[in-house]
Parts: sequence; C-alpha cells; structure tokens
Amino acid sequence: MLTMQHLSKVYRTHLIETHALRDFNLHVSEGEFVAVTGPSGSGKTTFLNLAGLLETHSSGTYLLDGVDVSKLDDNARSRLRNEKIGFIFQSFNLIPDLNLFDNVDVPLRYRKFPAAERKRRIEHALTRVGLGSRMRHYPSELSGGQQQRVAIARALAGEPRLLLADEPTGNLDSLMARGVMELMEEINAQGTTIIMVTHDPELAARAQRNVHIIDGQVTDLGDEPRLREPVAAVG
Amino acid sequence: MEIRPIFSALMRNKTGLVLIALQVAITLAIVTNSLFIIKERIELMNRPSGIDEAGLFTVSSLPFAPGFDRAGSITQDLATLRAIPGVIDATPINNLPLSGGGWGEGMSTKPIDPNTSKPEDSKGTTIYMVDDHGVNTLGVNIVEGRNFNPDEITDRNERDNGWPQQVIITQALAKELFPDESAVGKRVFMSNDSTGSVVVGVLERLQAPWVNWNGVERATLVPQRVLWSSTRYLVRVKPAERDAMMKTVEAKLGEINTGRIVRGLRDYGEIRKSAYSRDNAMTVILISVIVGLLVITGLGIIGMASFWVTQRVKQIGTRRALGARKFDILRYFQVENFIITSIGLAAGILLSYGFNIWLMQVFDAERLAWYYVPIGAVCVWALGQLAVVGPATRAARVSPSVATRSV
Amino acid sequence: MFAYYLRLAVLSLKRNKVLTGLMVAAIGLGIGASMTSLTVFYLMSGNPIPHKNDVLFVPQLDNWSPNQPFDEPNEPPNMLTYRDAMAIVESKQAKRVAIAFTNFFPVEPDNKEIKPEMVTSRLTTGDFFAMFETPFRYGGGWSAQQEADDQRVVVLSKATNEKFFGGSDSVGKRMRINGEEFTVTGVLDDWQPTPKFFDITSGPFEENEDVYMPFRYGIEKELQSSSNNNCWKDAGDGYQAWLESECVWLVGWVELENAGDHDRFLGWMNSYVEEQKKLGRFPRPMNNRLDNVGQWLENQKVVRRDTQVQVALSFGFLAVCLINTVGMLLAKFLGRSGEIGLRRALGASKRQVFAQFLTEAAIVGVAGGLLGLVLAWAGLAGVRQLYGEFERLSQLDVPMVLTAIGLAIASAIVAGLLPTWRACQVAPAVQLKSH
Repeated sequence: MLTMQHLSKVYRTHLIETHALRDFNLHVSEGEFVAVTGPSGSGKTTFLNLAGLLETHSSGTYLLDGVDVSKLDDNARSRLRNEKIGFIFQSFNLIPDLNLFDNVDVPLRYRKFPAAERKRRIEHALTRVGLGSRMRHYPSELSGGQQQRVAIARALAGEPRLLLADEPTGNLDSLMARGVMELMEEINAQGTTIIMVTHDPELAARAQRNVHIIDGQVTDLGDEPRLREPVAAVG
Repeated sequence: MEIRPIFSALMRNKTGLVLIALQVAITLAIVTNSLFIIKERIELMNRPSGIDEAGLFTVSSLPFAPGFDRAGSITQDLATLRAIPGVIDATPINNLPLSGGGWGEGMSTKPIDPNTSKPEDSKGTTIYMVDDHGVNTLGVNIVEGRNFNPDEITDRNERDNGWPQQVIITQALAKELFPDESAVGKRVFMSNDSTGSVVVGVLERLQAPWVNWNGVERATLVPQRVLWSSTRYLVRVKPAERDAMMKTVEAKLGEINTGRIVRGLRDYGEIRKSAYSRDNAMTVILISVIVGLLVITGLGIIGMASFWVTQRVKQIGTRRALGARKFDILRYFQVENFIITSIGLAAGILLSYGFNIWLMQVFDAERLAWYYVPIGAVCVWALGQLAVVGPATRAARVSPSVATRSV
Repeated sequence: MFAYYLRLAVLSLKRNKVLTGLMVAAIGLGIGASMTSLTVFYLMSGNPIPHKNDVLFVPQLDNWSPNQPFDEPNEPPNMLTYRDAMAIVESKQAKRVAIAFTNFFPVEPDNKEIKPEMVTSRLTTGDFFAMFETPFRYGGGWSAQQEADDQRVVVLSKATNEKFFGGSDSVGKRMRINGEEFTVTGVLDDWQPTPKFFDITSGPFEENEDVYMPFRYGIEKELQSSSNNNCWKDAGDGYQAWLESECVWLVGWVELENAGDHDRFLGWMNSYVEEQKKLGRFPRPMNNRLDNVGQWLENQKVVRRDTQVQVALSFGFLAVCLINTVGMLLAKFLGRSGEIGLRRALGASKRQVFAQFLTEAAIVGVAGGLLGLVLAWAGLAGVRQLYGEFERLSQLDVPMVLTAIGLAIASAIVAGLLPTWRACQVAPAVQLKSH
C-alpha cells in the first residue's frame, strides 16, 4: 500500500536546516493497522504529512499504492488525497459553518460525484458512525466524540484505501476514545489500511504493528504483524 | 457548482455578508444613476450650437460721450472691423447663442392675441437681431431660401415694437410651425404683430442662448440693427488667428472712437465653457464619486476577504487535505464573493430604481434607461471578482499541512 | 483609565498601519465628500437675514395672461409692473418699500488718462439700505428729501470706492456717471449676502452691484432692467406705454411692522387687485402672494437641483465608507479575540472592554474627521475651480468645520459600535483554550 525508501524531509529557513525525517524507510501492506509512536518532535507529524501528501519530501522515494508520488504535481496530489486517503485529525477539523451533512460532503464535492451518489454516501457514512439522525446539526451542537465520529464519517464517505489518523483520540476522554478506536478497528476489519499516529501506548497496543520514530528515523521495524500484543510504552 | 454549501455557510455568518452586500447595493445604486446623469450631461454638452465657435469672439461698445451717434458709430465700427485683414466677417447682434441671456418671443402661423391665444398656439423662439452679415459671421448654413438683403436691414430703437418683414428661422422651428411643408415664403406672426413676417430662409441649426431650455433649437434671425445703450458685435476670424485678432480688434475699436467703452471681449471657448460649466462640474463630480466608490468598495471587499482568509486558514488547510486543489480554494472564494455581490446587487437593483424614482419625483429626472442597471451590475460583479483575487490567491497558497497543526 | 485606553488604542492602530490607514482614509473620504456638498448646500440654502425673516416680504401680484400662468403650475410673476410697484409705494401700507432694477452705466474718472469704465448699478428706492441692513463703511443712504428732489446721489460698494477713490472716505465727493455728476452719500462695507436674496431673479449667486442709485433716476432716463423684462403682451410704443404695460421688471420688497401684519398687507394687495380688475386688468383668478424671506428662497428654488443630488450622493458615499469601516473594525477587533479573552479572564468587565475598543474607534474617527476636513477644503477648491462662478459658495466657515468634526466622530462611533459590541461578546474562558 505504502512504501517509503530513504525518505527525508528538510525544513529550511534562511538561518537553519532542520532534518525532520532522514533516511526513513517503511512499508505498510494493504489492510494493515499500523500505529506510529514516538516522542514529541520525533517526526511523527512530518511522517503523517508526507504519507498523506500534505507536504512534499526532500529526497528518497515514496510509492503510494504503487504510484511514485514525487513526480506528481499539486493537482494530482490533491486528487490522490481525495480518492485514496481519508484523514482523521486530532482536533477533528470540522467546518463550523457547515452542518454534518455538508461537512461529510466536502471531500465528495471535490470528487465531483453526482448529487444522488453523494447523498447516498453521506447518509451511509453518517449512519455507520451512529449520527444518521443528526445530519442537519452543526458541529458546535455535538460532543467531542461525536465530532470525531463525523470526521471519521467524512473520511469514510470517500471509501479511501488508506486512513491516516493523527492522534484521533487526543482531544477525547477515555470513554469517547474507546468508542472511536472501536470504530477504527471495525473499519480496518473491512479492509481499509490504517496508519495512526499516537502517543498513547494503550491505543498503539491495539494496532497490528507499531512503528516507533525517534529523531526522524524508524527505530523498530516490526516485519511480522503482531496481533494485539502489548508493547512496552516508550516516552 | 458548490453554491449551496457556500451559501449556507455564509448564512451562519451574516455580519460580513450584510456589510459587503450593503456596500455593493449602495454602490450599484449610485453608480448606475450617476452614469445615467453623466451620459445625459455629456449628450447635452456635445450638442452643436450650429455656429463656427472656433473662429468667433464678441466685443461690446458702451457709449458715454454726450450726444453719441449710436447708428453712425455702428456703421463705422462694422466698416472698420470688416476691413481688418484676417477678419472674415462681423455683425451686430443683440444676444449670443450659449450666453445665457437673450430675447424670447412667441411665434405662430396666425396672429397672436395675448387675451385669447393659448400657449400651445405659438412656439417659443429666441430672436437674434443681425444685419445681412449675420449668417456669414455666425457661420450658419442656409438649407433653404436666402439670406437677408442689405436693403432689408432696419434700425431698432430702445422701445420700438414692430417686427421687420423678413425673418430667417431654424429648421427645428420651421418643422414645428410647418410640419408638412416648406416654411420659405410663409408668413409667421410674433406677439401683437398683425401683419407678420415672411420666412425668407431656413437655417440648418442655430441654438438659443439658454442651453437648458427645451426649445434651444428654435431660433429666429431678424434683419435689425439695435441702437441700444450698448452694442454687441460678433466677429469671425480664422480659428488659428483668433487670440491675436481679439487684441487687434479691441485696440482698433478703442482707437477709432473714444466716446465709448470697449468691453466684454470674450471668445466662444469661454462662452461655451461658462454655458456648460454646471453640467461639466456635475460630470466631473459624479465621475469622482463613482471612482471613489468603486475604490472604497473594492478595498472593503479586499479587507473583508483577507480577514476571512485569516480566520479560515485551518479550514482551508483541511479542505486541501481532503483533496481540494488550489483552484478549488480560489474558486471557493470567488464563488463566495459572487454570492455576496449578487445578494448586494439584488438589493442594489431595487435601490437603483428607488433612487431613480426619487430623482424623477423631486427633480423631474428622466427614467433610468433599462440597460444601466445590468451594465452597472456587471461592473460591480467584475469589481468584486477582481478585488477578491488577491485574498483568494493567498488562501490557495495555504498549505494542506496546516490541517495537522495543533493550533 | 482613559489615558490607558488611549495608549492601547494607539498601540493597536500602529500594529496594523495599512488597515488603520484604510479606515482613516475611508472615513476621511466619506466626510470630505459629504462636507463638500453639504457646505455648498448650506450656503445656497442659507437665509442671510434670519432676524428679519418675519417682517420682510415679497409681494407677488398675478397680473399674467388669462391663458397661461407665469410659471407652472400656477406661479404668479416673481417681479412687479411699474404701475403695481408704484401703487404699493403710494399706498403707504408698509413700513418700508424697496423697488429696484439693475442697469449699467459708464463712469468717467476725473483723470482723463484713465479710461472710462462700466459699472453695474442697482436703481432702488431709498428704503433699501435700512430694510436689508446694509453695513456702511462711510456715510449712509440718501435721504428721502434727496430722493424726492431727484438729486444725483450714489452709494458705492466697497470695491467701487476702492477703485475710484482708493478706499478713502469719499462721502460728499463727486463722480461722473452716465455723463452726469453724482454725489457720494455713502460707501458700503463688505456686504454680499448669500444667496443674494434681495434680487434672485437676476441670479441668486451673482455679485452685488457696483453702485446704488435712486430708482427715480432710472425712470427719468427711461431705462428698463438690464436683466429681466417679462411681458405676456406687447407693451406698446414709447416709455410711458412701457410704464403702464403689464410687463414685469421690478423687484419689490416690503417691510412690515411685525409678523402679524402679514395678513393685513395681503388683504390690502387683494383689495388692490379687486380694484384693478374693475379697470380690466388682472384677468387671472386672484393669486397674490406675500412670502417671507425663507418662503421666497424656497419657492424660487434657489438651491440647485444638482446640489441636492450631490448631497444625496455624497451621503450615500459616506454610508458606503462607514459600512466599510465597520467591516474593517470588525475584522480588526475580532482578530484580537485572544487578547480580549485574556483581558476578560484577567478581570476586565464588558464595560471596560467596550470603553477600550470604542476609544480606538473614536481615534480613527478623529483622524478620519481631520483628513475629511482637509479633503473637504480641497473638494471645495475643486468645486470653485469647476463652477468658477461662486467663490462664496465654497468657503468653509466655523460652523461647517465643527459640523465636519462632529460628523466624523459621530460616524466613527456609529461605525465602531457594532464591532465593539461584538468584541465585548467574546467570552473570557473559551479563548484561553487552544483550538
């Protein structure tokens, strides 16, 4: 699904260069549920930005679903994000001025689906996350857990091959977090590859495989899928 | 394509929408009505007077010496003027086209009795009293008939009342008096004149002194020299020589007779300018208002859109992360602006007509021609789209990675 | 506390100079435009002699054609015939009567080296000076006796005295006008009522005449008005016929004892017209009027339509500028939600936040108002340039300057209210949480 070889990302200002990722190698197969962990500033978010095509890498190769993304222009990358990737953000990133229906509609609009198809997908996705009856509500009227469910519905509506989650439960209490996690597992069970960045060892433990990033490099390449084995918590 | 969600998002945040829409509405109302007034004024100012303005100037003689011979002085002045090399022709004249002051008279095809005649029985016309050089000096074209003969010129004293046997009228006046036939040879009557005068010639065009009079094209020449307390001359020269000739003529008139004051030397550029100074001023003022308004409204849109972009950076990043191309973001802001402008324009159309109706009721203005509002609307739309390009481009440059930033 | 708000406001305004500049420019432009048009309007529509508004009247007698009014819809003539003007004088029904017309005369200076010049003249009955309270620099008007004796007397304008007598006290001096020796009885001081209410038929914003001479001199010389002579039927031959004609050419004013006298004088006018109807004059239905100064200026439509349209347009313009400022202030204030939330959390009351932000709005208003004054001054210079004709209609005076500043501050505060109110609504706690 995703192959990164010798990937590096350098941030330059006029004074300093910062290597956010260096010689980063990772392979994620179709259908995997990978948790990415690491201390603050280790490069987790940079990894996520590169994986999600939100930023371009400085060197190395990145194959997403067999496509070498380094050769793609901004428009093609947008299209790839839109069609193959679903995002779940720590702070949900719902658009406050749009109701749930319209929020889920956002990526579908960019995909130029006909209206009936969009409607079907939106209703299906919102129903699946248990919010089918609240489509005309606005985000501010929902709890944090419910908002994150909307964000998941938004990610699912496009039927992505790859779901990228950035601390999906970071802003939620534990009860809500558990619900969200269960939802993600369910999605993974239906075949969607999931990469989840988290610093919560308990969550990471529930993934099939853990990737630990320190100083912009993968330190622990678990080649074999470890099915829900507890992993030692790392700082 | 995505009008509905943009619209519903706007409806959640009405303040900005209302502020911009209001500006757009007022701007449209003012721009359309101003453009309309400007067009009217320009048309007004562009009407030809019918005379050779570029080569004409006027000068007056005000006698003070006891026993001054008015008739003799006019004869001498005219002979002198016409003899000056470079002078094409000269005529005495009571009043001047475009000058604002003149003689008005009713003219009819039958004798006018002030006690019984109705206003519609006669046509108002201005009277220019000239000699046989009048037509050539003014530079007007006779389209039918003839000029006055030298022996037809009579003197008119201060309180003389009758009218000469011959008149020359403009085509516009001829058409009103004789809609279906040639006016030449017909008899016309002015106030309390039972004998009437015969139309000997018809002029293509000659305007009255009052530029805002609705009968400004109705003028009449009569073959009379006026022997009033002051005599006005009109002198025609080659346009290129006019400024120099004005000095020559003033000096010459001063020389040949010292028993009078030579005054009122003015060229036609000056006369036209002062005749239309108010219309010109109105035009300039309105153009300034339009430009100012468009600039202010444009800046307002830029300011508001910039604020919105700043406010929505996170949202824009999220949209980009979810697959929006730069173009989609650009278009989002353009469509949003289009919607706001359209709402403003909808109100503006009502306001435009409302303003026009007010102008019609209070100032007898004309009805706004239908195409002004659509033209104005297209301009304001274009202004809005243009103004939003900058902020929208900035928005499109927002990186999708903003979505994963935690603040 | 105010000093603190002031400092905060200045700091905030300095932080975003472009936005601040735009706001000041928007208010300035709006104020400049509206003050320019308002000044012209105010000067045009002014009543130069308000304290005599209730005692000065224009008698209008409708002697016009049976077939059409003097002016639509049913306006009586705005001037008088000689017969009717004299009837008013001779009736002695009014405290004072001014009957006047204008003409022009050559003046021959004593020094034959200097070329003769033309002067414009108002030929008027002697009550004119007292009725309109003309300020005299030297001397005064001529006496009733001098007028009755047809003496050659003249009152000069300040500028004319300047020109012919070098500005010295010329009372008693002689001046050769129209070929005759006239004695100067008085010299006016600066006097140019705007509008020129006492004779608007020859142009409400024209310059005053150069000299004032007795009305009877004009009649003796068989003169007509050099500005307006309107006839609905032929006057007939000769000057006597002109004087007896139905032509209107004289400007007439009466001064009554008090406002209550109006009805009595109008009653006299009506009975006079009844009398005249018996003689076959006044064919129209009774349509006399006796307007005071204010009514007269209004009825004669002294304020130009263009000026009124300009006032309307400029206030529309001001509205756009203000709405614009509302938007920019709103953006500016809400852009500081974080700061507001922090202040609120640190104990600032809504009222204090309100005061702080309104101070900022007011500063923008004052700056805009000052800019507006400069722009109005420039705008008026432009108007002077464009119209060329009326210097006096484009002067900023103290009341207008104060109006401008007041308007600017009021505008900015009105524009600042909504954004300030919105700023006050920012809750203290919420903004402290990151989002």
